[in-house]
Amino acid sequence: MMQGVSHKLAMFCRTQTTRATIARGSSLEMEIRRGKFRRSVFLNTLQDSDIQKKIDHEIRMRDGACKLLAACSQRDQALEAAKSLLTCNTRIMAYMSELQRMKEAQVMQRVARRSDGTRSSDAGPMDDRLPCKGKVAISDLRIPLMWKDTEYFKNKGELHRCAVFCLLQVGGEIHDTDMVMVDRTLTDICFDNTIVFSEASPGFELRVELYSCCSEEDYSAGSAPRKLASKLSSSLGRSAGKKLRVAMDPGACSPTSNGGAVTLLLPGHAVAGPKYHLLAHTSLSLSHVQDSFRTHDLSISGNEDCSYWVPLYGSVCCRLAAQPHCMTQQMMSGCLKVKQLGGDPQSWTNVYGVLKGTNLFCYHRQEDMEANVEPAFTIAINKETRIRASEKDPHSKAQSICISNQYGGEEVTHTLSADSHEETHRWMEAFWQQFYDMSQWKQCCDDLMKIELPSPRKPALVTSKQGSLYHEIVIDTSDDISTVTDILTRRMQELELRSQLGTSPPWMSLFEESPGGPRTPRLARHSPRSPHRLPHSPLSPLRCPWPGLLSSDASLTSDSDSPCSTSPCSRHRGWAEPLSSPRFRPRTLSLDAKLSTLRGRGYGGVLQCSCQPPSSSSLGPIPAQCVPQATLSCSSSTSSNSSSEGSHSPSSLDGTPFSRPSSARRSLRNVRAKLDPRNWLQSQV
Amino acid sequence: MKGPLSYLQPGRNTKVSDQSETMSFIPGQPVTAVVQRIEIRKLRQGEHLILGFSIGGGIDQDPGQNPFSEDKSDKGIYVTRVTPEGPAEVAGLMMGDKVMQVNGWDMTMVTHDQARKRLTKKNEDVVRLLVTRKSLEQAVKHSMM
Repeated sequence: MMQGVSHKLAMFCRTQTTRATIARGSSLEMEIRRGKFRRSVFLNTLQDSDIQKKIDHEIRMRDGACKLLAACSQRDQALEAAKSLLTCNTRIMAYMSELQRMKEAQVMQRVARRSDGTRSSDAGPMDDRLPCKGKVAISDLRIPLMWKDTEYFKNKGELHRCAVFCLLQVGGEIHDTDMVMVDRTLTDICFDNTIVFSEASPGFELRVELYSCCSEEDYSAGSAPRKLASKLSSSLGRSAGKKLRVAMDPGACSPTSNGGAVTLLLPGHAVAGPKYHLLAHTSLSLSHVQDSFRTHDLSISGNEDCSYWVPLYGSVCCRLAAQPHCMTQQMMSGCLKVKQLGGDPQSWTNVYGVLKGTNLFCYHRQEDMEANVEPAFTIAINKETRIRASEKDPHSKAQSICISNQYGGEEVTHTLSADSHEETHRWMEAFWQQFYDMSQWKQCCDDLMKIELPSPRKPALVTSKQGSLYHEIVIDTSDDISTVTDILTRRMQELELRSQLGTSPPWMSLFEESPGGPRTPRLARHSPRSPHRLPHSPLSPLRCPWPGLLSSDASLTSDSDSPCSTSPCSRHRGWAEPLSSPRFRPRTLSLDAKLSTLRGRGYGGVLQCSCQPPSSSSLGPIPAQCVPQATLSCSSSTSSNSSSEGSHSPSSLDGTPFSRPSSARRSLRNVRAKLDPRNWLQSQV
Repeated sequence: MKGPLSYLQPGRNTKVSDQSETMSFIPGQPVTAVVQRIEIRKLRQGEHLILGFSIGGGIDQDPGQNPFSEDKSDKGIYVTRVTPEGPAEVAGLMMGDKVMQVNGWDMTMVTHDQARKRLTKKNEDVVRLLVTRKSLEQAVKHSMM
């Protein structure tokens, strides 16, 4: 089986590689689409399946983006969907080309193995060292614009707007920034995203591509499909071809024709919607990496006549930072014996050494390192350090390593000794690798560059003041009927107090401890028993469950004997809540009569008191008492207060409930009342 | 005779509030409240038509002096007195009620005088008020539980 396969592969390889690539590419594509890849004749390695998964994922995303584009009607959504589509397409292409490269590499290997007839070593000879990978982060992208002054002052016509975003690519990793709407009010295009590529080699090439799309075209489905198809092919042709060339370059094959690329990517159905075009691009590499902002040149494609044109100044400003793994990770660790040259030959110190970045940290014990305790001492390992394996020390059995550094003008040498020969060898290997990495990553190894990932922005929590009392008041099902009756009692109290005449709902009678049993609800004023009704008020027996409520408000009640709302001192006390009073007295005609006579004598303030809930008074004689008190306390009230009462006519003066004072007096008081802003007028209707 | 029972009947309540805790309103926000319809037939007394209650409040008044309002910035029209045996009392109006509407005219954003005038139109025999009070809302709440 194996032989047969490799035979086939060899056959392919003997023919023109370019054609074989295309053929394989399309069959790959077909197989991927049909999901038969796993059953293909090609051997699957772990890497292949990884990429396969990624390709599948991106194809799904692309399908989703297509559907979204077809479905959405709003321009913003369409632009976002088109952006996702472009990103997915680019990713798919990158993965596919990587896959092809891997296939070719495998094939080359097998061919080499076969032709040699010997087993050559895997993937590159031992001598070639590979530098460690690292994190590359690009952030704070800013592209200055250069609008013509005529644009600034153009007031007529619509604002020419474009949607732009950046596509950033390192090898197979492709990220896109957020979309930014650009119009002539912007001076720079700013992308706030920080994009981190986690596995970049020192020879990385970060391609920055700026795509833009005019945001004024009509993207309705009614557009002629022909026009779209031509747009599609042309745009893909130019940008896709470019990308393909770039993607294919590191690989073994020469660039393919655009036609193949287009057929590779063309989805089953024409995609309607906005189309992004490449506006500018640039490539950044290790030499551009710096811990601060730098400006780089942009290569601009397109011109003023294009619909997607945005006048770029021609440069891009960004911060490109890199963190090689040798600076951030522990490259080597183990137990060592360290001796400082020039010291006592016997004074070997046992340490746990950790090689990280430009230092060899020596801890007393391994636990110290894990506990983040400061190391006992640190030996610098940087570009200036010289390390050599010394000859066999006559005092020890293993080889030792000498590390020399220049501290100031002095040269300090440390001698390291490991437990075994292999261990020493490993340490040497680690040091060589570290040197190599530092030489490859150059300026990135001087100091650790900071890469800050902005914390994900949480959506603003809108705390709406919802939650009605409906939801707040909860009655557990476990509560028994007494809770319900308590609530009803409370309500009932309110009702009683609000009502001047004690008209009560019929169910209140259930709570009455009247000797006569439940009586029919009647207006109490008609009942001669009304004054006597008080002692039998339903409140009294039920006062017990709410002692707190009543007692706390009792103070209010007593103060309310001298109510006057306009007098500032007693403002709050005066206007006692009707609810709070435990006792009330129905206002009877007699009380009205009393009050009106007093009013007639000019106790203006009294009238305010009469507005008081009847809770302020208890039984008959008391109102008369409280009234003069009220008068006195109200004396500080303004004259307007009394005049306000002019507009307020009491009920009975001489038995007829609805008499009014003379209109002349009333109008005068009205005027005075209305002119005073500190009033709270009351009018009788 | 319309007793207080009326406000327990769901049919009489026009709007059931889900969200308002109190009768306070925020300017600019729609007001929802549990209201009761009260129909008052004016009583002719000599040459006057009277309703038998007193009102206080208005957008030109100082709301802090309103003893009946929960929210001391409420500039609505409140019933400050109900004359005993008067038409208002008979109809079920209670002291402390906030008048929301009179014959369809809004009363939540009127001056004191405007309110008074809307109640005392000479050619109207009947005024239909929409009033709200705290106990109404609680009654509905309880009856719904």
